[in-house]
Amino acid sequence: MIQSILRYLHSDVTPGVAGNLFWVVVYVLLVFAGISVGVIFMNWFERKIMAHMQVRMGPMRVGPHGLLQPIADALKLIIKEDLMPANADKIVFWFAPVCVVMTAFCGFIVVPFGPTHAITDMNIGVLFMLGVSSLGVLGVIMAGWASNSHYPLMGSLRSGAQMVSYEIAMSMTVVSAVMMTSMATGTGTLSMIGIVQAQLQQHTWFAFSFFPVGLTALGVFSIAMVAETNRAPFDLPEAESELVAGFLTEYSGFRWSLFFLAEYAGMIAVSSIATTLWLGGWLRPFPNLLGGKNWDTAFSLVPGITFVALAALCLFYFTRMPSIRAMRADARGLAAFGGVLGVIGIVMLLPGVRVRVQDIYWFTLKVGFFMYLYIWYRTTFPRYRFDQLMKIGWKVLLPISIGVVIMTALIGVRQELLALVWR
Amino acid sequence: MKIIEMVRRFLLIDLLEGMWVTFRHQNPSDLVTEQYPMNRPEISDRFRGQPRLVKDENGKLLCTACGACALACPEKLIKVGSLRDPETKKKVLTDFDFDLGRCMFCGLCEEACPSNALNLSSGYELALYTREGLELGKDQLENGIQGKVYDK
Repeated sequence: MIQSILRYLHSDVTPGVAGNLFWVVVYVLLVFAGISVGVIFMNWFERKIMAHMQVRMGPMRVGPHGLLQPIADALKLIIKEDLMPANADKIVFWFAPVCVVMTAFCGFIVVPFGPTHAITDMNIGVLFMLGVSSLGVLGVIMAGWASNSHYPLMGSLRSGAQMVSYEIAMSMTVVSAVMMTSMATGTGTLSMIGIVQAQLQQHTWFAFSFFPVGLTALGVFSIAMVAETNRAPFDLPEAESELVAGFLTEYSGFRWSLFFLAEYAGMIAVSSIATTLWLGGWLRPFPNLLGGKNWDTAFSLVPGITFVALAALCLFYFTRMPSIRAMRADARGLAAFGGVLGVIGIVMLLPGVRVRVQDIYWFTLKVGFFMYLYIWYRTTFPRYRFDQLMKIGWKVLLPISIGVVIMTALIGVRQELLALVWR
Repeated sequence: MKIIEMVRRFLLIDLLEGMWVTFRHQNPSDLVTEQYPMNRPEISDRFRGQPRLVKDENGKLLCTACGACALACPEKLIKVGSLRDPETKKKVLTDFDFDLGRCMFCGLCEEACPSNALNLSSGYELALYTREGLELGKDQLENGIQGKVYDK
């Protein structure tokens, strides 16, 4: 038992592929905890960034700069009374949030945070993720139906229509990325790890290969994924002015927080698909321009330096805290937080650790970029009307994505033919 | 012209411009929010808040008890009590009742005052738990919240 646990440490495959139950459980727990913490952090980050974009302050009172606000919110939601409408379909009403959360988290089974840092490596990885994440629609429709009320039903119908129509454009762009994986080796792959390794072999991220095609595919995907996760400006199912809160209307307390968790986990999931397919997954930026051993070392120092910089920022704001009695605990908390970040940063600078951590760091950074985009869209764009939404989905994104697939195929075939002739 | 517009739409230039606007405003120095108990707001000089009876430099009230403010008040909430001093034959102020609960801070009393003795000052923290406390007497008007005095 212990031997098999230790033996895994010397292998370089994911625990699912190695078939090691212990490490699978550890990875599942780690990923689950990581995503949950990420969601909590995203909550704070979103409120803060939105506030600053709207020239407000956002949460400031609970903890230094409102850092503990999401914890307070979560506590409030858990304590809140859990209402169930008298005429609701009890079982379906109970199962809907569970279904949504399950599908949102299931996708993370195949997300590669690094060459070995994934729960498992499936040969149908992308397909699995798309399939599982589109099952979330089922939960939403169940929620709307079971509430036995007008607004939730309308909201869930809209949501269903929206998710289904954007799924097609999304899948088409995924097809183009999968076609690109076949360029160097001749056979493509759907495995998430395989796709990133194909980008490593071709010395390019798929966003930049076949120049405008990859970038267009990423653009279409990044618009479709906003609609897919029901976020602004495509958050019609939750349009307050028309539908109260859409399918969430009858939900409160813990059940509502499950929907919230699922929404953010879904956002992270689709962002990680986009990262894996087009932005090189765990690969560090500028591998060609700044290649070589020295640059590798320099880039592997970046994660540690980031954490040390964050710690320095915390300590700087600690000195800037107002020195009144009410703020004393906050100031000390901020200093302690900065200290913890600094220790993590220094640990990450150790040569043994930094090699293993840098993959996760780059992956998280790229996903974080997409999460920032989500918040940015939300503050900038007003909500679309339903017919406009459908028009964008069917008349704009779908033709473009089909065009992307065709262009990828044509350029790919042409390159293969040229290679044949030159040989 | 039409081609330029089409290119703008195709490259989503308008959307990007909008995103640049929101991105620009993230600068924390742009913040307009005040955190009230810790940062006090800057009150304009002409703000009409806590009523006060103004004193001269010797600490004597300027009020001559003429009652012009009570006449000017549209809510009839000011009551000026006075006695005739038998020696100097002048009115002396004894009471000054100001029912803040009915006051709408129109400032007509302040305008009617011939000797600039009544002032709606910049004091603004007037909330109380009972209505009784809102009936300000002479003492509170003299020594209540000390706001800035604005001269007309």
